[in-house]
Amino acid sequence: MPSPRSTSALRLLWLDVLATLAWGVLLLRFWLTGRINVLLHPDYVWLAIAAGIALVGLGGVKLMDVMQLTRSRQPLPQVLHINFFPPGWGSALMLAVALFGLQFTPRAFASQVALDRGVTDTLTMTRSQPQSFRANVRTEDKSLVDWVRTLNVYPEPDAYTGQSAKIEGFAIHTAKLPDNYLTLARFVITCCAADTYPVGLPIKLATSRTAYPQDQWFRVEGTMITETVAGMRQLVVQSKSLTKISEPKNPYDS
Amino acid sequence: MVQWNSVLTLFFSLLVEAMPFLLLGVLFSSVLLMFVDERRLIAAVPKNALLAALLGSSIGFLFPVCECGNVPVARRLLVQGAPPAMAIGYLLAAPTVNPIVFWATWIAFRDQPELVFLRVGFSLLIAVIVACVFSTQADLRPLLQPAVARAMPATRGQKPKQNRADNPGADLLQSGTFLLGKAGAPLRLDGGGMQAAALVSNPVLAKPLPEKLRLMLDNMMQELRELGGILILGAAIASVLQVAIPREAVLSLGQGQITSILAMMVLAWVVSICSTVDSFFALSFASTFTSGSLLAFLVFGPMIDLKNIALLLSVFKGRAIAYIFILAAQLTFVLTLLVNLYVS
Repeated sequence: MPSPRSTSALRLLWLDVLATLAWGVLLLRFWLTGRINVLLHPDYVWLAIAAGIALVGLGGVKLMDVMQLTRSRQPLPQVLHINFFPPGWGSALMLAVALFGLQFTPRAFASQVALDRGVTDTLTMTRSQPQSFRANVRTEDKSLVDWVRTLNVYPEPDAYTGQSAKIEGFAIHTAKLPDNYLTLARFVITCCAADTYPVGLPIKLATSRTAYPQDQWFRVEGTMITETVAGMRQLVVQSKSLTKISEPKNPYDS
Repeated sequence: MVQWNSVLTLFFSLLVEAMPFLLLGVLFSSVLLMFVDERRLIAAVPKNALLAALLGSSIGFLFPVCECGNVPVARRLLVQGAPPAMAIGYLLAAPTVNPIVFWATWIAFRDQPELVFLRVGFSLLIAVIVACVFSTQADLRPLLQPAVARAMPATRGQKPKQNRADNPGADLLQSGTFLLGKAGAPLRLDGGGMQAAALVSNPVLAKPLPEKLRLMLDNMMQELRELGGILILGAAIASVLQVAIPREAVLSLGQGQITSILAMMVLAWVVSICSTVDSFFALSFASTFTSGSLLAFLVFGPMIDLKNIALLLSVFKGRAIAYIFILAAQLTFVLTLLVNLYVS
């Protein structure tokens, strides 16, 4: 049965349309600005793009409907709802979050999150277990994450002593390491930013680490050595050179 | 400030990952609502309670709806004379045992494929067990809301033949017959059921196509705003919890074989996140919680949660909901504890 025509019912319809359009625009904007790489694994970006296009399409069709309804004097269709939110709240919430998202720039996780989550050179029991790893002949082609995966399979540090390394990541000043060490870390992503976890390796520097600020990205070239640092015998990179690099377009490794 | 940015980045990452799946779920549920007549399916249900429960638990593959969409469908099934075992099997399993949820879970947990299969397996098992328990009650009506009970067929057991010509949505439901492995004669419950079907069956099916498409879009918008709102609340809770709770506290809770399962079940119940996207929510706990507890979240949440209790009350009396809740909770706990102890 059609409900009596009222401005509040019309307002609810407009709210739905705006919320849908805003979400479509938000998803497409994250993609076009490249910030979607901070949020998602690259494999799933297309899903977000498709959803963005679909939402803009759906919102567009409904926009025409609502404009027609606004102009005409037809009775408004009855608005059903599942009784979880009072009418209008669901859309208002979606619209508010989308508008906030449009002016928010997501930033890749850095040292603070890494320290909170605990940087390790091991993958603990409950972490997702990688099903493959690349066995490179040239050790300097191994990325930081490759090194950590290799260490997980065969953790004896002496096995790698003397091998050359060239790895990239951001710097963390871990309190338990002496002043001439820093941790070079990267986040690994499986699906979205919610499941990223940090891995890292200690880097032995020639000088104090104060010259190498936290969160700055570096390319480290050096040689693998075995040392006992912070009471633990582990694999350490003896650095020959540290080069400042800019944050990669895709900040997480997968 | 850095923490605040992390919370927001997490929040938007969960939403951006979940939104496509929410949209897909809403699309499927709307298409099926508009084009499928579930009376066809009821006609093909076997008498055996176990088989009916199994069938009911598997039709999520045809009606891939999450736990908000399935309550109205289950109600229509009951009123149209579906055996209780089938309706309850459907109610509990459909939000999990369906292709969209399977795909979403696969994307979230592709590194732990056993979780994906165990989720489907456990959901089926629990749904079938609870459905069989309920089927021992010969007359379900004392457990239902009076309005639903009155609309149900007066007697069960008579299954006279019905014509199948009045069915516009036949194609998809052919698979329902196929699912049974035998193309039995289409049977339909008679008596009060027909009258009730006229009252509660899907009135949209008789409408012309343009009208149906318009109603489908309306339904999509409606589900999107309800479920989108809940998704936003769920994502907010998940991202704040992940950043705000001290890591040691989370780890001590999350690494305990029993505490982790209990914590995730409570969380699933409170957060009420849609089953299409709950695997992404669970993913944010994947590094700190045991596999069994993640499974408990994924199995228990879609069956019964804070949000759909309101919906369930439109079908069942409180007593029946309490039975379903207790049975489902205990079975989830025992099964996932076995996973924690013996599998992972």
